[in-house]
Amino acid sequence: MSLAAELSALTEHHRARCAAYDRILTALGVSGPFAEVADLPWLPVRLFKTHELKSIPDEEVFRVLTSSGTTGAPSRIYLDKAAAAAQTRHLAATLRTVLGPARLPMLVVDRRNIVRSSSARGAGVLGMANFGRKHTYVLDESERPDVPAVKRFLDTYGGEPFLIFGFTFLVWQYLYEVAREHRLDLSNGILVHSGGWKKLADRAVDNAEFRRRFREDTGLRRIHNYYGMVEQIGTVFLEGPSSDGLYCPDFADVVIRDPRTWREQPVGEPGVIEVVSTLPRSYPGHVLLTEDLGVCHGIDDGDWPGKRFSVLGRLPKAEARGCSDTLAAA
Amino acid sequence: MRIPFELSPSGLRVGDERVVDFLAAFSRKLLALGRRHPELASLGFFLRRAEIERQLSQLDGLRRPRGVVFHVPPANVDTVFVYSWALSALAGNTNVVRISPRAGPAAQAILDVWHSMDDPAITRTQHFITYDRDDELTAALSEAADLRVLWGGDESVRALRRFPLAPHARDLTFPDRSSFAIVSVEGWRRATEAQRRAAVEGFYNDAYWFDQAACSSPRGVFWIGEEDPSAEFRALLVTIAAEKGHVTEPAMAVQKRVSAYGAAADGRVSRIHFDSDAVTSLESAELLREWLGAGVFTHTRVSTLEELVPSVVPRDQTVTHFGFAAEELREFAIRSGVDRVVPFGSALTFSPVWDGFNLLAEFTKLVTVTV
Repeated sequence: MSLAAELSALTEHHRARCAAYDRILTALGVSGPFAEVADLPWLPVRLFKTHELKSIPDEEVFRVLTSSGTTGAPSRIYLDKAAAAAQTRHLAATLRTVLGPARLPMLVVDRRNIVRSSSARGAGVLGMANFGRKHTYVLDESERPDVPAVKRFLDTYGGEPFLIFGFTFLVWQYLYEVAREHRLDLSNGILVHSGGWKKLADRAVDNAEFRRRFREDTGLRRIHNYYGMVEQIGTVFLEGPSSDGLYCPDFADVVIRDPRTWREQPVGEPGVIEVVSTLPRSYPGHVLLTEDLGVCHGIDDGDWPGKRFSVLGRLPKAEARGCSDTLAAA
Repeated sequence: MRIPFELSPSGLRVGDERVVDFLAAFSRKLLALGRRHPELASLGFFLRRAEIERQLSQLDGLRRPRGVVFHVPPANVDTVFVYSWALSALAGNTNVVRISPRAGPAAQAILDVWHSMDDPAITRTQHFITYDRDDELTAALSEAADLRVLWGGDESVRALRRFPLAPHARDLTFPDRSSFAIVSVEGWRRATEAQRRAAVEGFYNDAYWFDQAACSSPRGVFWIGEEDPSAEFRALLVTIAAEKGHVTEPAMAVQKRVSAYGAAADGRVSRIHFDSDAVTSLESAELLREWLGAGVFTHTRVSTLEELVPSVVPRDQTVTHFGFAAEELREFAIRSGVDRVVPFGSALTFSPVWDGFNLLAEFTKLVTVTV
């Protein structure tokens, strides 16, 4: 079955099980089947912050994931046992393309107890830890680099492929700076990182500079940024080996939309990123309009088959200039 | 921060000549800026001598200023602070007006005019003060006030009420309100094409000027009658918004989707029409009073105004109307309890009677003398 056909069927699946979702589609006057992925009706991702949307009965809820929004209510994502298992399995399949079949020794650029916090960082580390072994944490509990621990790790495992995981900013601030200062050899590492470039933009570090400096100063060449969100847990868009864009796993896709007409943008034209995935079966999150801006660079013309795209940044928050509640406490 | 000036009785009378002269001069300067900031033209027009004298002539009884009035206007509606202040100055009060540092360009233009004028009777007694968050100063000003005027919504009013007033003093508050439009289906049918167009243009100004977020911006339209001509109205609104060059930022476009989809998820909306990037129309049995984004309107058909009365709530402030007879409107106003019923295009026009308060009268106290 094509991706569009699978997603069409999934749309019907959610309509039959989530009354609120059905009411939205009825109000929009849309009905399937949908021939193209871009024809599918999308939900704004923020709707998972304002509404409880799930396609499973309460008694089948196995895990509730929450996003760590900086403001307002968090998203609430409801998984049953099958959905929880599927997301782990699909994440593993996606990561195998860069990590290979074996679990690798793993350097986590964070502190050990982050997994106990309910932050996105904690969830990220917890999810990724499954794909490594012999975990070594780069930071101590007061968020200072634990240089002896990193050196011990590299002495033991640095001669064979190993996994490095962390948030982009932490990886730069702690791993890169420490590795350069102590002349550490990371040439057998495979770095998987995420979290955006905003904090690094202040230091004039973009993706190209990030890769160049790691390569020149630490020998690390295998670097994969990725894009993903809790609202589509298990679906990650991994950067190709030559950094020519983010790629979609075969069960997912992206559509870059013109925010004025909502039509799909041609290659090269920036717009709002819509992410689609066949994974969400327990909540109607299979077609989501994000609040990120992105651009599609090409299709079937890069490192891997399929669409390749970049994330350009976040949409600003909509602000009205009305007279209500605009005044912070004086 | 302590109060950086002395707060003493103004020595001004109600309708003091010096204040009237100052406001007239202020008005001329604001009118001159009207081309760049249209809202300053309306403000200047309101402050001209003839209007000020008309306001004064409507005061009854023997009146004195209240004393010290502390005004906290909303951050984002640039001209409210001037209306609030001018009427209180006209009442002869010593005034302190807190200006938000986030105030926009029109507010800045007003302040520039203010600072360019130097009249000792005014500058000694009238104080515009810009500060962000300063609990100590807010507390001191609240304590010194005989009357405190709080604009800007429920949250602001609640936050500011934490600062106690002197025992004799009181608050005049302007909390969150909502507004809607009513159209007589019969009146719409009778109207010429030009009249309909002019009506929708007025509605456009009412709704889009403050991104539909002002208290008096209509959030929805009630069609009163047996048919539903809303499709024609929506099409005209799409055309006019395009002609006026209305721009919907991507973030606002997403905001409108989030709120419209959310209303549908809640079962409050039966159909959503994205008529254009500027206009979203919701078919609904009720008015959605919360702000959904710039350019999101419910359309609801009701047979008679009488039938609409039970769905009006105390929060409802301004009703903009088209196609009704004066008597119908008066009857509806009295029965429903809304504050203001004005024609399409006048929703945002400031009135010295606001939220049911005659401001000039509120800024004075009545004195009785029995001989």
